Amino acid sequence: MAEPSALESVEARLAKATEKLVASGPFSEVLAFTAGNLAVIVRKGGGVADSAVRGLRIAGRRDVVAFGRQLARTEDKLERVLQEVEALQDELRAQNRKQSRKKS
Amino acid sequence: MSALRDLVRLPVDALEFSNILLTTGDAEIGTSPHDVVWTHRKTTLYRYRSSSRRHAVPVLLVFALINRPQIFDLRPGNSFVEHLLEAGFDVFLLDWGEPDEEDADMGLGEYVCDELEWGIRECSRAAGGTEVTLLGWCIGGTLVAMHAALEPGAPVRNLVLLTTPIDTRGSLYAQWVGRKAFDADRIADAMPALPGTGIDFANKLMKPVTNYWTTYRKLWQQVRRGEAQRSAYQSMAKWVADNPPFPAKAYREWITWMYKENRLFEGTLRLRNRRVDLGRIERPLLVVTAGADHIAPPEGTRPLLELVSSQDVTHLDRPGGHIGLMAGSKARAEVWPEIVEWLQERSAAR
Repeated sequence: MAEPSALESVEARLAKATEKLVASGPFSEVLAFTAGNLAVIVRKGGGVADSAVRGLRIAGRRDVVAFGRQLARTEDKLERVLQEVEALQDELRAQNRKQSRKKS
Repeated sequence: MSALRDLVRLPVDALEFSNILLTTGDAEIGTSPHDVVWTHRKTTLYRYRSSSRRHAVPVLLVFALINRPQIFDLRPGNSFVEHLLEAGFDVFLLDWGEPDEEDADMGLGEYVCDELEWGIRECSRAAGGTEVTLLGWCIGGTLVAMHAALEPGAPVRNLVLLTTPIDTRGSLYAQWVGRKAFDADRIADAMPALPGTGIDFANKLMKPVTNYWTTYRKLWQQVRRGEAQRSAYQSMAKWVADNPPFPAKAYREWITWMYKENRLFEGTLRLRNRRVDLGRIERPLLVVTAGADHIAPPEGTRPLLELVSSQDVTHLDRPGGHIGLMAGSKARAEVWPEIVEWLQERSAAR
């Protein structure tokens, strides 16, 4: 095992120090507030941009998402219908097997 | 002479180093041949067929909601999927896909009680009505544990949980998001689909120097020594950078229930009005933890061993990190064979 270079030693010490820093209470507090604020800024910025697009009578993000949600709901219903059909198929197959066994 | 050669090589090495970084996105990952068995919304069930199937019980792989499941099939020669196929298992993989804003209504209940439940059903049907082994990794492991606790009658023979968070007390995540100042509701209300890059940034921030500096320094040194393993570096770097969004409802529930209230461990978690009681898990269980895991530390997984009712419980604690355990250079020789051996003993036809 080769001895670590001076750079690697500094790096290891720095890594330890930063890991200690990010695990500290004050850092966690800063991170928590920053994340919350950033989320709100992103939402507000997105809202303004979307309103501008919709003002031009072009489908905005909100319209696309609403359409996507409607499709997702339809797919949910279709999935449940398919599962019912598959369950009926399985039942029918089992009945047919039973009947053919009885005949033979 | 050597110093002169080093100096002459410097621009060439700099070009090779930058070329590796610039072409990382072109690396091919998840290349084992597979078929699509079932899809629902963004979820897809894939099947990988073994050419020498020797075991009756197929393995269904379930990965986390963050990052992509291609980590199971990283690159030819270093793929867990390939390893399972060679060992004679048929393999299925549940891919949660790329959720977007229209999937903001996808919560833990939807993932566990619908997507996973239906994925198991489709997997079992495709494999000829057999039971399956569920193998979950990270959040995928937690979802698998929740499902096993809710559905003891599902066609599942065995459970394998890799680096799975169960008891989150004392973890760095809990320190960050468990505090009052971290308003998960506000974040989830503001963003219907949380950008994956934000989650990735938080993960990397846990070890900032290692993730933002050491990785590149090591690559540079490998290039200088003429030992850079381009495909190994690029496949992993590409996978790490591919972060799908986290649906708001799932995010809100994951942070609040798992980290702020620790409900799964406390036994107070309810999905679709049913209590998730880990004590109802009775199936053979293999739990694998990684000694240097800072995302799901072993002490956060070990309590599961005491909570379940299974008579057949195996725990492997191996050196490595959260991802390195299964995708690192030693995984193929050390961890994968142990998992396969455990599975082989429990995958015969009944």
